[in-house]
Amino acid sequence: MVDQIPNLGRESEMLGALGLSSMDELFANIPEEVRRDEPLPLPQPQSEEQILEDARRLLGVNVHLDSRPSFISAGLARNFVPTMVPMLATRGEFLTSYTPYQPEVSQGMLQAMWEFQTMVSELVGLPISNVSMYDASTSAAEAITCAVRVKSKKASQPSSVYISELVPPHRMSVIENYAQGVGIDLHTLPHNEDGTLDLEAAASATGSCAVYVEQPNALGLLDEGLMDLREAIGGSTALIVGVDAVSLGIIEPPGSWGADIVVGEGQPFGIGPTAGGPIYGLFACSKEFLRLMPGRIVGQSIDSEGQTAYTLTLSTREQHIRRHRATSNICSNETLIALMGAMHMALLGPEGLEKLATRVHSSTIATLGAVTSVPGVELVNPEGCFFREFAVRIPGSAKEALESMDSAGVLGGFNLGNWWEEMSDCLLIGCDEGTTEADISALTDALGNWIGGASR
Amino acid sequence: MSTIFDFRGAPGTGWSQPEPISTPSDTIPERLRRGHLPHWPRASEPELVRHYTGLSQKTFGIDTGFYPLGSCTMKHNPRVNERIALMPGIDRIHPLQEDSQVQGLLSIFYEMQEMLAICSGMDAVTLQPVAGAQGEFTAIRCIQEYHRSNGESHRDKVIVPDSAHGTNPASASMCGYQVVEIPSASDGRLDIEALKAAVGPDTAAMMITNPSTLGLFETNIVEASRIVHEAGGQMYYDGANFNAIIGKTDPGRMGFDAVHYNLHKTFSQPHGGGGPGSGPIGVKGHLSQFLPTPVASRRESVEGDSTGVEDGYWYFWADVGGRSIGKVQQWNGNAGAVVRAWAFYRRYGRELERMSEYAVLNSNYLRNRIMNPNPDVAAKIHCMPAEGAQADLVMHEFTLSMSPVKELNGVTGKDVAKRLLDYGYMSPTLYFPQIVPECLMIEPTETESKEVLDKFAADFHAILSEDPEIVTSAPHTTPVKRVDEVWAARKLILRHPITDSED
Repeated sequence: MVDQIPNLGRESEMLGALGLSSMDELFANIPEEVRRDEPLPLPQPQSEEQILEDARRLLGVNVHLDSRPSFISAGLARNFVPTMVPMLATRGEFLTSYTPYQPEVSQGMLQAMWEFQTMVSELVGLPISNVSMYDASTSAAEAITCAVRVKSKKASQPSSVYISELVPPHRMSVIENYAQGVGIDLHTLPHNEDGTLDLEAAASATGSCAVYVEQPNALGLLDEGLMDLREAIGGSTALIVGVDAVSLGIIEPPGSWGADIVVGEGQPFGIGPTAGGPIYGLFACSKEFLRLMPGRIVGQSIDSEGQTAYTLTLSTREQHIRRHRATSNICSNETLIALMGAMHMALLGPEGLEKLATRVHSSTIATLGAVTSVPGVELVNPEGCFFREFAVRIPGSAKEALESMDSAGVLGGFNLGNWWEEMSDCLLIGCDEGTTEADISALTDALGNWIGGASR
Repeated sequence: MSTIFDFRGAPGTGWSQPEPISTPSDTIPERLRRGHLPHWPRASEPELVRHYTGLSQKTFGIDTGFYPLGSCTMKHNPRVNERIALMPGIDRIHPLQEDSQVQGLLSIFYEMQEMLAICSGMDAVTLQPVAGAQGEFTAIRCIQEYHRSNGESHRDKVIVPDSAHGTNPASASMCGYQVVEIPSASDGRLDIEALKAAVGPDTAAMMITNPSTLGLFETNIVEASRIVHEAGGQMYYDGANFNAIIGKTDPGRMGFDAVHYNLHKTFSQPHGGGGPGSGPIGVKGHLSQFLPTPVASRRESVEGDSTGVEDGYWYFWADVGGRSIGKVQQWNGNAGAVVRAWAFYRRYGRELERMSEYAVLNSNYLRNRIMNPNPDVAAKIHCMPAEGAQADLVMHEFTLSMSPVKELNGVTGKDVAKRLLDYGYMSPTLYFPQIVPECLMIEPTETESKEVLDKFAADFHAILSEDPEIVTSAPHTTPVKRVDEVWAARKLILRHPITDSED
C-alpha cells in the first residue's frame, strides 16, 4: 500500500464530481496505441521503515572519508560542517520553497541569498556574485562563454580563449561541452618545469577574449606569478581565475590582482563532498560582465510602502524571459547549498576563515614534510608553495600504491595517472582541517611499507 | 531592516575551532598573503540560529501551505529522504573513491538508471546532469554528436513549440543550434501542419513536453514523431511533466529518442529555494554511445571480489567510450538528489502510477471546482483551451486566463496571484505559457487533499468577487507589500555596502 496521497480511497467521490466513474477515464486522451497496459516491472512499495533499513544497509557498505585516514581532495574538501548548518537549512520553509518568483512571500530566502552574494563578493574581491552555479566546472565553463559574449566584438583574437594546461581533464571536458556550441576556440597555456604558469607564453593570449587559470593549480601549487598575469595579457582580455575558496582566508583574492571573474567550488563551505553533488559553484565578476552573466541575482528593492525588500533582478538575461537569446539555460541552481554555505561562512567570521585556512595549510605542510621524508618519495614541484594538496612521485605505480594503502586502511590520495598518463607514478595528496598527526603517521607507514615491499 | 552584517561582535567571535596541528614556517610568500580579511559578520551561533529562523519564517514553502506552481510539481518532500542523504555513506563520500569503496552507492545509481529507463521506455540512462536544463543540454549534445557521426553536421535547427519551457530554446541555442518556434493550434495542442512546414533536411531535433505546458496530452504525438523522424530529426522529450503519465504511457512508446527527468519534480528532491535539482537523461540505444561518462554498471560477482552489497553483482563505473560527449558536471551528478529520489521511488515501487493518477485526478477536480462557480464569477475566468474547456480533460496541470476580469475591471492575472498570497497560498505560475493571455498555470500534485482543493477554489472565487481595489493593491498581509521589481533593476544594489569603521 502506498502512502503520501491524502485522497487515496476518496476517488469515487471526486470522480463523481467530474461525471466520471473510473481513474482510467482521466487518461482517455492518451491514444490507445501508446498506452501502457501492463504494470511497471518494479518492486513492491515499501514503508519508511523498510526504506530506511535498505538505505542503512546499502550506504553502510560504502567506505566513508571519516572512517579512516583520508588524503583525497582533488577539487573537493573533506570538511567539517557545523551542526547548525544542516539543521537550519533544512527547516521546511527553506527546504520546500521554489525559486523565489513571488518576492512578497520569499523575503527570507532572498535576503539570505543577498547576504550570500555579499559574503562571496568580499571573499573573492569582486563587486558582484550570483546565487550559485552547479559546481566549479560549470562555473568555469559559463564564465568562459560569458567572457566571450562580452569581449568578442572588440577582441583582436575574437572567440579565442586560453586555458592553463593544468586544468584537470574532467573539468576541461565540461568546458569543452559548453564552449563548442558557441564556436569558441580553446587554446592551451603551458606551464614551466617548476609547475608555474609560463608568463611569456601567456602573452600570446593578448587580444583574446579570456584567459582561465586556477590558483592553486591542479597539482596544489600556489603560483605567485599569476599576480603578474594581468600585466602579461594586457587590459582587454578577461582574466578568469578558479580558486580554492578556503585558501582565500590567507591568500590574496584574485579580485585584488586583476581578475575579472572568479569561479570555484563552494562545497568546502556548507556541505560534505556528497559523492560529488549537490555542491555549488561560486561565480563572481566585475560590473562589465553583469548584464551578460549567467544565473540568478538578488537585488535590494522597496515595496509599495517604501520599506526595504529583496527580489530577483536582471531576469531579462534569463531563459524564462529571453528564451533562445538567454545568457544561459540555468534555471534550478544550487540555492539551498549556497544557503548552507552562507551559514557556514557567517559562523566562521573573518578570523574564523583565516584560522580555517591556516589549519588546512598547516595540515598540508606537516603532511608534506612527513611524506617527503619517506625514502623514495619526491615532491613533483620541489620549489613549490602549497595550500591544500601536493603531488609526489613514487617509485612505482600510483594505482598499486593506493591499493596497498587501501588494504592497510588508508585512503592515500589520488592517482594522477587517471588525469595525465605520464603521471601514473604520481599521487595527489590532499589534506584538510581534520588531518591529524595519527593520520599522517598512518599514511607514511602505509606508503613506506608499500615502497619497501615493492622494492624487495 | 536588519541584515547579517549587523552582527559586529569582537574580533574572533563565532564558532571555535581546534588549533592547527603545527605552526608552519612561513612558506607562503608575502606577496601572496591576504592583506585584509573579508568583511564577514562576527556572530555567535545563538544569534545566527535566530537570524536564519527569522528568515525561514519569511519564506513560503510546501510545508507552509498549498503551492500550486504549474510545471514545477511542488509535491510533499518526505522527510526520511533528508535523513538518508545525511548518512555518512553518501554525505562523506568522495566521487573519486575506488569502486570497491562505494558498492552501495553504485548499486543505488544502477537501480535508479534501471527504474528511469523502465518508466520512460528508454534503453540507457545517465544520472550525471544536475538540473533539468542541464539534462536538456546534455541530450541535445548527444543528438548533435549522433548527427555528426552520421556525417549530418548540416542539421542546424531545433524545433520547439511556442508553449515550450524557456530552457528548451536556451539549451538548444547553447549547443549552437538555431531555434525554430512553431505556433500552437487553436485548441492549444501541437499544430501538425505547422510542424510539417517546419521540418526539413536541416532539422536536428524537436523538443517537446507531453503533456504540454497547457496540461494537455498531445494526442497526435505519434504522428509528430513520424514527421520528425522521416525528416531525419530526433525527438526529445522534456520530462518536466512526467508526473502526469508514469505507468500510463511513456516517451518510448510515443516515439521519442531522448528524454530528461526532473528528480526534483517527479521524484520529490526538494526544490530548496531554487535548487539543487537533478536532471538525468534517458536515450534509445542508438544514442547511448554518446552519453556522458561514466555510467553505473554491473556484472555477476566472481570469486575474489571484495564484499559488496551481496546481491550477486559487482558494481562499477563504466566508461562510455570514445564517442561519449565527456562530462557535463565534473563528478557523477547530484548523488544526494539521486539517493533522495531513490527513497521516494521505493515508497511507490510498481505502484508509481498511483502518483500520476491522483495528480491528474486532483488537477481535473480543482479545475472543475474553479470553472463551476456562480455565473457572476464564471464570467471573469476563461479556461484554456477556450473552446470546449468544461468537458475536456486535462492532465496534471491546467491554465486559466484572467483576460475577462481584466477587461471588466482591470484586475490582472498578477493581481489575482498576489491576492492569493494573502489567503495563504503560493501563487500559481504566472504569465506562462506565454500563448495564454493573463495566464495562471495551476498544478496541485497528488499530495494535496480534497479539502485543500475545495478551499482553494472557494477562495479563488472570493477573490474574483472582491472590490477590485483590494485585489490590485494586494498583497496586504505578507512580510512586505508588493515589491518594486523595476526599482531593483534600476538601482542594482546587489550586495551590502558594508562600512566598517574598525578597519
